[in-house]
Amino acid sequence: MTVHPSELAAVTQPVTNARGLPNAFYTDPEVFEEEKRKVFFRNWAALGFFSDVPEPGDAKPLTFLGQPLVLIRGRDGVLRVFQNVCRHRGMILIERPQKIERAIRCPYHSWCYELDGSLRTTPHVGGPGTNRHDAIKRDELGLFEVRSHTWLGMVFVNIDGQAPAFEEYAGDAIARYADFDKPLYKCGGEGTFTMEVKANWKLAIENGAESYHLPWVHPGLNSYSRLEDHYHIEAHGPLCGQGTTVYNPSLSEDGRRFPEFADFDAKWNQGAEYPMLFPNIMIGVHKDQLWGFIVEPVSHDRSIEHVQIYYADPSVAGDAWAGMRKKNAEMWAGVFAEDIFVVEGMQRGRHATQFDGGKFSPVMDNPTHDFHAWVASQMMA
Amino acid sequence: MTDRAAPDTDLDAALIEAHEAADHRRLVVLYAEAADHAEAAGDIDACCFYLTHAYVFALQTGAGEARALHERLLAHGREE
Repeated sequence: MTVHPSELAAVTQPVTNARGLPNAFYTDPEVFEEEKRKVFFRNWAALGFFSDVPEPGDAKPLTFLGQPLVLIRGRDGVLRVFQNVCRHRGMILIERPQKIERAIRCPYHSWCYELDGSLRTTPHVGGPGTNRHDAIKRDELGLFEVRSHTWLGMVFVNIDGQAPAFEEYAGDAIARYADFDKPLYKCGGEGTFTMEVKANWKLAIENGAESYHLPWVHPGLNSYSRLEDHYHIEAHGPLCGQGTTVYNPSLSEDGRRFPEFADFDAKWNQGAEYPMLFPNIMIGVHKDQLWGFIVEPVSHDRSIEHVQIYYADPSVAGDAWAGMRKKNAEMWAGVFAEDIFVVEGMQRGRHATQFDGGKFSPVMDNPTHDFHAWVASQMMA
Repeated sequence: MTDRAAPDTDLDAALIEAHEAADHRRLVVLYAEAADHAEAAGDIDACCFYLTHAYVFALQTGAGEARALHERLLAHGREE
Protein backbone atom coordinates (compact mmCIF):
# COMPACT_ATOMS: atom_id res chain seq x y z
CA MET A 1 0.00 0.00 0.00
CA THR A 2 1.23 3.48 -0.86
CA VAL A 3 0.08 4.94 2.45
CA HIS A 4 2.43 5.18 5.41
CA PRO A 5 1.03 3.72 8.65
CA SER A 6 1.60 7.04 10.39
CA GLU A 7 -0.87 8.67 8.02
CA LEU A 8 -3.55 6.21 9.13
CA ALA A 9 -2.67 6.68 12.78
CA ALA A 10 -3.30 10.41 12.30
CA VAL A 11 -6.82 9.62 11.08
CA THR A 12 -7.72 7.68 14.21
CA GLN A 13 -6.72 10.49 16.58
CA PRO A 14 -9.53 12.30 18.44
CA VAL A 15 -11.41 14.56 16.04
CA THR A 16 -9.78 17.73 17.38
CA ASN A 17 -6.37 16.56 16.26
CA ALA A 18 -7.20 14.11 13.51
CA ARG A 19 -6.56 14.42 9.81
CA GLY A 20 -8.77 12.92 7.15
CA LEU A 21 -7.83 9.89 5.11
CA PRO A 22 -4.83 10.45 2.82
CA ASN A 23 -5.29 11.29 -0.85
CA ALA A 24 -4.26 7.80 -1.94
CA PHE A 25 -7.53 6.48 -0.51
CA TYR A 26 -9.26 8.36 -3.30
CA THR A 27 -6.78 8.33 -6.16
CA ASP A 28 -4.78 5.11 -5.95
CA PRO A 29 -6.14 1.91 -7.58
CA GLU A 30 -3.88 -0.15 -5.32
CA VAL A 31 -5.55 1.24 -2.20
CA PHE A 32 -8.93 0.53 -3.79
CA GLU A 33 -7.88 -3.09 -4.32
CA GLU A 34 -6.84 -3.36 -0.69
CA GLU A 35 -10.13 -1.79 0.43
CA LYS A 36 -12.01 -4.50 -1.44
CA ARG A 37 -10.51 -7.12 0.80
CA LYS A 38 -10.16 -5.28 4.10
CA VAL A 39 -13.17 -2.98 4.07
CA PHE A 40 -15.75 -4.74 1.90
CA PHE A 41 -15.14 -8.48 1.84
CA ARG A 42 -14.42 -8.69 5.60
CA ASN A 43 -17.49 -6.74 6.66
CA TRP A 44 -21.18 -6.61 5.80
CA ALA A 45 -21.49 -4.60 2.60
CA ALA A 46 -24.79 -3.46 1.15
CA LEU A 47 -25.41 -5.24 -2.14
CA GLY A 48 -28.98 -4.56 -3.23
CA PHE A 49 -32.60 -4.43 -2.24
CA PHE A 50 -35.07 -7.04 -1.08
CA SER A 51 -37.44 -5.70 -3.73
CA ASP A 52 -34.96 -6.56 -6.52
CA VAL A 53 -36.25 -10.15 -6.44
CA PRO A 54 -39.77 -9.89 -5.03
CA GLU A 55 -41.24 -13.24 -6.16
CA PRO A 56 -40.11 -16.87 -5.86
CA GLY A 57 -37.94 -17.69 -8.84
CA ASP A 58 -36.81 -14.10 -9.42
CA ALA A 59 -33.09 -13.84 -10.12
CA LYS A 60 -30.96 -10.74 -10.52
CA PRO A 61 -27.30 -11.03 -11.48
CA LEU A 62 -24.88 -8.29 -10.55
CA THR A 63 -21.18 -7.68 -10.34
CA PHE A 64 -19.97 -6.36 -7.01
CA LEU A 65 -16.33 -5.34 -6.74
CA GLY A 66 -15.53 -7.74 -9.55
CA GLN A 67 -17.44 -10.63 -7.98
CA PRO A 68 -20.12 -12.14 -10.21
CA LEU A 69 -23.07 -12.62 -7.87
CA VAL A 70 -26.73 -13.41 -8.26
CA LEU A 71 -29.67 -12.70 -5.94
CA ILE A 72 -32.28 -15.44 -6.08
CA ARG A 73 -35.62 -15.70 -4.31
CA GLY A 74 -36.23 -19.38 -3.53
CA ARG A 75 -39.48 -21.30 -3.64
CA ASP A 76 -39.39 -21.04 0.15
CA GLY A 77 -39.39 -17.23 -0.12
CA VAL A 78 -35.83 -17.00 1.19
CA LEU A 79 -33.52 -14.56 -0.60
CA ARG A 80 -30.09 -16.08 -1.18
CA VAL A 81 -26.95 -14.73 -2.79
CA PHE A 82 -24.70 -17.03 -4.79
CA GLN A 83 -21.55 -16.64 -6.79
CA ASN A 84 -22.96 -16.64 -10.29
CA VAL A 85 -20.81 -19.45 -11.64
CA CYS A 86 -21.31 -23.08 -12.50
CA ARG A 87 -19.30 -25.51 -10.36
CA HIS A 88 -18.27 -27.34 -13.54
CA ARG A 89 -16.29 -24.88 -15.65
CA GLY A 90 -16.92 -21.55 -13.95
CA MET A 91 -19.33 -20.35 -16.61
CA ILE A 92 -21.57 -17.42 -15.73
CA LEU A 93 -24.99 -18.92 -15.07
CA ILE A 94 -27.41 -16.00 -15.28
CA GLU A 95 -26.75 -13.05 -17.56
CA ARG A 96 -29.82 -10.88 -16.97
CA PRO A 97 -32.67 -10.45 -14.48
CA GLN A 98 -35.22 -13.18 -15.10
CA LYS A 99 -37.82 -15.48 -13.64
CA ILE A 100 -36.45 -18.99 -13.14
CA GLU A 101 -39.29 -21.42 -13.78
CA ARG A 102 -37.77 -24.31 -11.92
CA ALA A 103 -34.04 -24.92 -12.28
CA ILE A 104 -31.02 -22.85 -13.21
CA ARG A 105 -29.48 -24.40 -16.32
CA CYS A 106 -25.89 -23.58 -17.11
CA PRO A 107 -25.82 -22.47 -20.74
CA TYR A 108 -22.54 -24.33 -21.34
CA HIS A 109 -23.02 -28.05 -20.49
CA SER A 110 -26.47 -27.74 -18.89
CA TRP A 111 -25.65 -28.67 -15.33
CA CYS A 112 -28.84 -27.75 -13.47
CA TYR A 113 -29.24 -26.23 -10.02
CA GLU A 114 -32.25 -25.75 -7.77
CA LEU A 115 -33.04 -22.25 -6.53
CA ASP A 116 -31.50 -23.14 -3.16
CA GLY A 117 -28.23 -23.77 -4.99
CA SER A 118 -28.24 -27.56 -4.80
CA LEU A 119 -27.02 -29.42 -7.87
CA ARG A 120 -29.92 -31.25 -9.49
CA THR A 121 -28.47 -32.96 -12.53
CA THR A 122 -25.24 -33.27 -14.52
CA PRO A 123 -26.20 -34.31 -18.03
CA HIS A 124 -23.88 -36.75 -19.83
CA VAL A 125 -21.29 -36.40 -17.05
CA GLY A 126 -20.68 -40.15 -17.12
CA GLY A 127 -20.82 -40.33 -20.93
CA PRO A 128 -23.67 -39.74 -23.39
CA GLY A 129 -27.00 -40.44 -21.74
CA THR A 130 -25.44 -41.16 -18.35
CA ASN A 131 -25.94 -38.32 -15.90
CA ARG A 132 -24.07 -39.67 -12.94
CA HIS A 133 -20.54 -40.68 -12.04
CA ASP A 134 -19.03 -41.76 -8.74
CA ALA A 135 -16.57 -38.86 -8.87
CA ILE A 136 -19.38 -36.32 -9.21
CA LYS A 137 -20.81 -35.93 -5.74
CA ARG A 138 -23.81 -33.65 -6.17
CA ASP A 139 -24.15 -32.84 -2.50
CA GLU A 140 -20.65 -31.34 -2.59
CA LEU A 141 -21.18 -29.36 -5.78
CA GLY A 142 -23.94 -26.91 -5.00
CA LEU A 143 -23.54 -23.27 -5.95
CA PHE A 144 -21.18 -21.26 -3.78
CA GLU A 145 -23.46 -19.34 -1.45
CA VAL A 146 -22.39 -15.95 -0.19
CA ARG A 147 -23.27 -15.14 3.40
CA SER A 148 -26.15 -12.70 3.25
CA HIS A 149 -28.62 -10.95 5.49
CA THR A 150 -31.66 -8.82 4.80
CA TRP A 151 -32.60 -5.89 7.01
CA LEU A 152 -34.91 -2.93 6.40
CA GLY A 153 -35.41 -3.99 2.80
CA MET A 154 -31.66 -4.08 2.05
CA VAL A 155 -29.48 -7.07 1.22
CA PHE A 156 -26.08 -7.25 2.87
CA VAL A 157 -23.27 -9.67 2.10
CA ASN A 158 -20.16 -10.77 3.91
CA ILE A 159 -18.04 -12.04 1.05
CA ASP A 160 -15.27 -13.69 3.07
CA GLY A 161 -17.73 -15.31 5.47
CA GLN A 162 -15.66 -14.36 8.51
CA ALA A 163 -17.44 -11.29 9.89
CA PRO A 164 -19.43 -11.46 13.13
CA ALA A 165 -23.13 -12.22 12.65
CA PHE A 166 -24.98 -9.29 11.09
CA GLU A 167 -27.00 -8.92 14.30
CA GLU A 168 -23.76 -8.31 16.14
CA TYR A 169 -22.11 -6.23 13.42
CA ALA A 170 -25.08 -3.88 13.07
CA GLY A 171 -26.47 -4.29 16.58
CA ASP A 172 -26.61 -0.57 17.38
CA ALA A 173 -28.43 0.19 14.15
CA ILE A 174 -30.85 -2.71 14.53
CA ALA A 175 -31.78 -1.56 18.03
CA ARG A 176 -32.04 2.11 17.04
CA TYR A 177 -34.39 1.42 14.11
CA ALA A 178 -36.34 -1.51 15.52
CA ASP A 179 -39.56 0.47 15.06
CA PHE A 180 -39.09 0.19 11.29
CA ASP A 181 -38.20 -3.48 11.05
CA LYS A 182 -41.57 -4.23 9.48
CA PRO A 183 -42.88 -5.10 6.03
CA LEU A 184 -41.80 -2.44 3.54
CA TYR A 185 -43.45 -1.77 0.19
CA LYS A 186 -41.78 -0.64 -3.00
CA CYS A 187 -44.96 0.91 -4.48
CA GLY A 188 -44.38 1.83 -8.11
CA GLY A 189 -41.23 2.36 -10.09
CA GLU A 190 -40.55 6.02 -9.32
CA GLY A 191 -38.72 5.24 -6.13
CA THR A 192 -36.05 3.11 -7.79
CA PHE A 193 -33.22 4.99 -9.43
CA THR A 194 -29.46 5.16 -9.82
CA MET A 195 -26.90 7.91 -10.24
CA GLU A 196 -23.37 7.51 -11.56
CA VAL A 197 -20.76 9.70 -9.95
CA LYS A 198 -17.14 10.34 -10.87
CA ALA A 199 -15.93 9.93 -7.35
CA ASN A 200 -14.61 7.44 -4.86
CA TRP A 201 -17.34 5.60 -2.94
CA LYS A 202 -16.30 7.04 0.42
CA LEU A 203 -17.05 10.61 -0.59
CA ALA A 204 -20.76 9.87 -0.95
CA ILE A 205 -20.86 8.30 2.51
CA GLU A 206 -18.83 11.14 4.06
CA ASN A 207 -21.13 13.71 2.55
CA GLY A 208 -24.28 11.98 3.72
CA ALA A 209 -22.93 11.58 7.23
CA GLU A 210 -22.89 15.23 8.18
CA SER A 211 -25.43 18.04 8.27
CA TYR A 212 -22.83 20.80 8.07
CA HIS A 213 -23.27 21.14 4.32
CA LEU A 214 -27.06 21.20 4.29
CA PRO A 215 -27.73 24.98 4.33
CA TRP A 216 -25.17 25.53 1.57
CA VAL A 217 -25.76 22.61 -0.74
CA HIS A 218 -29.46 22.04 -0.06
CA PRO A 219 -30.81 25.55 0.55
CA GLY A 220 -34.32 24.29 -0.11
CA LEU A 221 -34.21 22.47 3.22
CA ASN A 222 -33.69 25.73 5.13
CA SER A 223 -37.36 26.53 4.87
CA TYR A 224 -38.41 23.76 7.20
CA SER A 225 -35.36 21.92 8.49
CA ARG A 226 -32.67 24.30 9.62
CA LEU A 227 -29.11 23.41 10.47
CA GLU A 228 -29.83 23.84 14.17
CA ASP A 229 -32.62 21.27 13.91
CA HIS A 230 -30.06 18.60 13.05
CA TYR A 231 -27.97 16.44 15.34
CA HIS A 232 -25.25 13.85 14.93
CA ILE A 233 -25.61 10.13 15.33
CA GLU A 234 -22.42 8.79 16.84
CA ALA A 235 -22.11 5.21 17.93
CA HIS A 236 -19.44 2.63 18.43
CA GLY A 237 -18.85 0.41 15.46
CA PRO A 238 -19.99 0.87 11.88
CA LEU A 239 -22.71 3.47 12.42
CA CYS A 240 -22.83 7.24 12.25
CA GLY A 241 -24.93 9.88 10.58
CA GLN A 242 -27.30 12.71 11.27
CA GLY A 243 -30.87 13.29 12.29
CA THR A 244 -33.40 16.09 12.29
CA THR A 245 -36.01 17.02 14.83
CA VAL A 246 -38.15 18.51 12.08
CA TYR A 247 -39.51 16.15 9.44
CA ASN A 248 -42.61 17.60 7.91
CA PRO A 249 -42.46 17.48 4.12
CA SER A 250 -45.22 19.02 2.09
CA LEU A 251 -45.97 16.78 -0.87
CA SER A 252 -49.60 17.63 -1.48
CA GLU A 253 -51.43 20.92 -1.67
CA ASP A 254 -54.37 19.42 0.21
CA GLY A 255 -52.16 18.37 3.12
CA ARG A 256 -52.43 14.63 2.51
CA ARG A 257 -49.71 12.47 4.08
CA PHE A 258 -48.50 8.99 3.23
CA PRO A 259 -49.71 6.26 5.62
CA GLU A 260 -47.33 5.91 8.54
CA PHE A 261 -45.69 2.89 10.10
CA ALA A 262 -47.55 1.44 13.07
CA ASP A 263 -46.37 1.66 16.65
CA PHE A 264 -43.32 3.86 16.45
CA ASP A 265 -41.74 5.85 19.25
CA ALA A 266 -43.07 9.40 19.66
CA LYS A 267 -39.72 10.88 18.64
CA TRP A 268 -40.45 9.86 15.05
CA ASN A 269 -43.59 12.00 14.92
CA GLN A 270 -41.42 14.99 14.07
CA GLY A 271 -37.99 13.49 13.58
CA ALA A 272 -36.11 11.59 10.91
CA GLU A 273 -32.62 10.12 10.73
CA TYR A 274 -30.04 9.45 8.04
CA PRO A 275 -27.66 6.82 9.37
CA MET A 276 -24.65 5.44 7.52
CA LEU A 277 -24.07 1.75 8.12
CA PHE A 278 -20.48 1.22 7.08
CA PRO A 279 -19.10 0.61 4.67
CA ASN A 280 -21.51 1.68 1.95
CA ILE A 281 -25.09 2.49 2.75
CA MET A 282 -27.05 5.51 3.90
CA ILE A 283 -30.59 4.94 5.10
CA GLY A 284 -33.38 7.49 5.31
CA VAL A 285 -35.66 6.69 8.24
CA HIS A 286 -38.99 8.50 8.42
CA LYS A 287 -42.39 7.78 9.94
CA ASP A 288 -43.95 7.28 6.50
CA GLN A 289 -41.11 6.02 4.32
CA LEU A 290 -37.69 4.47 4.43
CA TRP A 291 -35.08 4.54 1.74
CA GLY A 292 -31.76 2.92 1.09
CA PHE A 293 -28.93 4.68 -0.70
CA ILE A 294 -26.32 2.08 -1.57
CA VAL A 295 -22.98 3.30 -2.87
CA GLU A 296 -21.55 0.70 -5.24
CA PRO A 297 -17.79 1.11 -5.58
CA VAL A 298 -16.88 0.66 -9.24
CA SER A 299 -13.27 1.84 -9.16
CA HIS A 300 -11.15 4.21 -7.11
CA ASP A 301 -12.82 7.17 -8.82
CA ARG A 302 -16.19 5.86 -9.99
CA SER A 303 -19.29 4.89 -8.03
CA ILE A 304 -22.93 4.14 -8.67
CA GLU A 305 -25.54 5.25 -6.15
CA HIS A 306 -28.57 2.94 -6.00
CA VAL A 307 -31.71 4.30 -4.36
CA GLN A 308 -34.85 2.45 -3.32
CA ILE A 309 -37.73 4.16 -1.55
CA TYR A 310 -40.05 1.98 0.53
CA TYR A 311 -43.40 2.93 1.99
CA ALA A 312 -45.20 1.80 5.12
CA ASP A 313 -48.39 0.58 3.49
CA PRO A 314 -49.08 -1.31 0.24
CA SER A 315 -51.98 1.02 -0.55
CA VAL A 316 -49.42 3.65 -1.60
CA ALA A 317 -48.97 1.63 -4.80
CA GLY A 318 -52.45 2.72 -5.86
CA ASP A 319 -53.27 5.41 -8.38
CA ALA A 320 -54.54 7.68 -5.62
CA TRP A 321 -50.96 8.12 -4.43
CA ALA A 322 -49.26 8.27 -7.82
CA GLY A 323 -48.84 12.04 -7.82
CA MET A 324 -47.39 12.17 -4.32
CA ARG A 325 -45.12 9.19 -5.00
CA LYS A 326 -43.76 10.96 -8.05
CA LYS A 327 -43.26 14.21 -6.17
CA ASN A 328 -41.59 12.42 -3.28
CA ALA A 329 -39.19 10.53 -5.55
CA GLU A 330 -38.38 13.71 -7.46
CA MET A 331 -37.70 15.54 -4.21
CA TRP A 332 -35.20 12.94 -3.01
CA ALA A 333 -33.61 12.56 -6.43
CA GLY A 334 -33.18 16.34 -6.47
CA VAL A 335 -31.52 16.36 -3.04
CA PHE A 336 -29.15 13.56 -4.06
CA ALA A 337 -28.36 15.30 -7.34
CA GLU A 338 -27.47 18.47 -5.44
CA ASP A 339 -24.73 16.49 -3.69
CA ILE A 340 -23.02 15.26 -6.85
CA PHE A 341 -21.00 18.39 -7.54
CA VAL A 342 -19.43 18.35 -4.08
CA VAL A 343 -18.70 14.64 -4.20
CA GLU A 344 -17.11 14.95 -7.63
CA GLY A 345 -15.40 18.20 -6.61
CA MET A 346 -13.77 16.53 -3.61
CA GLN A 347 -12.64 13.69 -5.87
CA ARG A 348 -10.81 16.13 -8.15
CA GLY A 349 -9.55 17.96 -5.07
CA ARG A 350 -7.86 14.80 -3.85
CA HIS A 351 -5.29 15.17 -6.61
CA ALA A 352 -3.91 18.29 -4.88
CA THR A 353 -0.56 17.01 -3.68
CA GLN A 354 -0.40 19.30 -0.67
CA PHE A 355 -3.85 18.34 0.60
CA ASP A 356 -3.22 16.44 3.82
CA GLY A 357 -6.57 14.71 4.29
CA GLY A 358 -8.27 17.80 5.63
CA LYS A 359 -9.02 19.42 8.98
CA PHE A 360 -12.22 18.41 10.75
CA SER A 361 -14.51 20.73 12.67
CA PRO A 362 -14.56 19.20 16.16
CA VAL A 363 -18.21 20.25 16.37
CA MET A 364 -19.68 19.69 12.91
CA ASP A 365 -17.61 16.91 11.34
CA ASN A 366 -17.76 14.20 13.98
CA PRO A 367 -19.67 11.64 11.90
CA THR A 368 -17.32 12.15 8.96
CA HIS A 369 -14.39 11.59 11.28
CA ASP A 370 -16.07 8.48 12.69
CA PHE A 371 -16.24 7.06 9.18
CA HIS A 372 -12.66 7.97 8.28
CA ALA A 373 -11.38 6.50 11.53
CA TRP A 374 -13.37 3.28 10.93
CA VAL A 375 -11.97 2.89 7.41
CA ALA A 376 -8.45 3.55 8.71
CA SER A 377 -8.88 0.98 11.45
CA GLN A 378 -10.05 -1.64 8.92
CA MET A 379 -7.05 -0.98 6.72
CA MET A 380 -4.64 -1.19 9.65
CA ALA A 381 -6.09 -4.49 10.87
CA MET B 1 -18.90 -44.79 -28.73
CA THR B 2 -21.56 -46.30 -30.99
CA ASP B 3 -23.61 -44.39 -33.51
CA ARG B 4 -26.71 -42.93 -31.89
CA ALA B 5 -30.06 -43.63 -33.50
CA ALA B 6 -30.95 -40.30 -35.08
CA PRO B 7 -34.47 -38.91 -35.00
CA ASP B 8 -36.26 -38.93 -38.31
CA THR B 9 -35.86 -35.99 -40.64
CA ASP B 10 -39.07 -34.20 -39.64
CA LEU B 11 -38.36 -34.58 -35.94
CA ASP B 12 -34.79 -33.46 -36.44
CA ALA B 13 -36.00 -30.34 -38.27
CA ALA B 14 -38.51 -29.63 -35.52
CA LEU B 15 -35.79 -29.94 -32.88
CA ILE B 16 -33.56 -27.50 -34.72
CA GLU B 17 -36.43 -25.08 -35.13
CA ALA B 18 -37.33 -25.30 -31.43
CA HIS B 19 -33.69 -24.76 -30.44
CA GLU B 20 -33.46 -21.71 -32.70
CA ALA B 21 -36.66 -20.33 -31.19
CA ALA B 22 -35.46 -21.18 -27.66
CA ASP B 23 -38.83 -22.91 -27.26
CA HIS B 24 -37.80 -25.04 -24.31
CA ARG B 25 -41.26 -26.40 -23.60
CA ARG B 26 -41.43 -27.72 -27.13
CA LEU B 27 -37.97 -29.25 -26.73
CA VAL B 28 -39.23 -31.33 -23.79
CA VAL B 29 -41.88 -32.87 -26.01
CA LEU B 30 -39.66 -33.37 -29.05
CA TYR B 31 -36.73 -34.90 -27.17
CA ALA B 32 -39.11 -37.23 -25.33
CA GLU B 33 -40.49 -38.27 -28.71
CA ALA B 34 -36.96 -38.91 -29.99
CA ALA B 35 -36.30 -40.99 -26.87
CA ASP B 36 -39.40 -43.06 -27.53
CA HIS B 37 -38.27 -43.77 -31.10
CA ALA B 38 -34.82 -44.83 -29.94
CA GLU B 39 -36.26 -47.05 -27.22
CA ALA B 40 -38.57 -48.71 -29.74
CA ALA B 41 -35.54 -49.32 -31.91
CA GLY B 42 -33.79 -50.96 -28.96
CA ASP B 43 -31.11 -48.28 -28.67
CA ILE B 44 -31.06 -47.57 -24.94
CA ASP B 45 -28.01 -45.30 -25.07
CA ALA B 46 -29.71 -43.08 -27.64
CA CYS B 47 -32.94 -43.24 -25.67
CA CYS B 48 -31.18 -42.00 -22.52
CA PHE B 49 -29.36 -39.31 -24.47
CA TYR B 50 -32.68 -37.86 -25.63
CA LEU B 51 -34.34 -38.45 -22.26
CA THR B 52 -31.55 -36.44 -20.67
CA HIS B 53 -32.22 -33.50 -22.94
CA ALA B 54 -35.95 -33.72 -22.36
CA TYR B 55 -35.33 -33.90 -18.62
CA VAL B 56 -32.97 -30.90 -18.57
CA PHE B 57 -35.42 -28.70 -20.46
CA ALA B 58 -38.26 -29.97 -18.27
CA LEU B 59 -36.28 -28.94 -15.21
CA GLN B 60 -35.54 -25.56 -16.70
CA THR B 61 -39.13 -24.83 -17.62
CA GLY B 62 -40.79 -26.46 -14.66
CA ALA B 63 -42.61 -28.86 -16.96
CA GLY B 64 -44.64 -31.58 -15.27
CA GLU B 65 -42.88 -34.25 -17.34
CA ALA B 66 -39.70 -33.84 -15.29
CA ARG B 67 -40.68 -36.45 -12.71
CA ALA B 68 -41.52 -39.15 -15.26
CA LEU B 69 -38.42 -38.41 -17.33
CA HIS B 70 -36.30 -38.66 -14.20
CA GLU B 71 -37.88 -42.00 -13.32
CA ARG B 72 -37.14 -43.38 -16.80
CA LEU B 73 -33.50 -42.33 -16.51
CA LEU B 74 -33.32 -43.82 -13.03
CA ALA B 75 -34.74 -47.09 -14.33
CA HIS B 76 -31.87 -47.26 -16.80
CA GLY B 77 -29.32 -46.44 -14.08
CA ARG B 78 -28.48 -43.12 -15.68
CA GLU B 79 -29.61 -40.72 -12.96
CA GLU B 80 -29.54 -40.22 -9.22
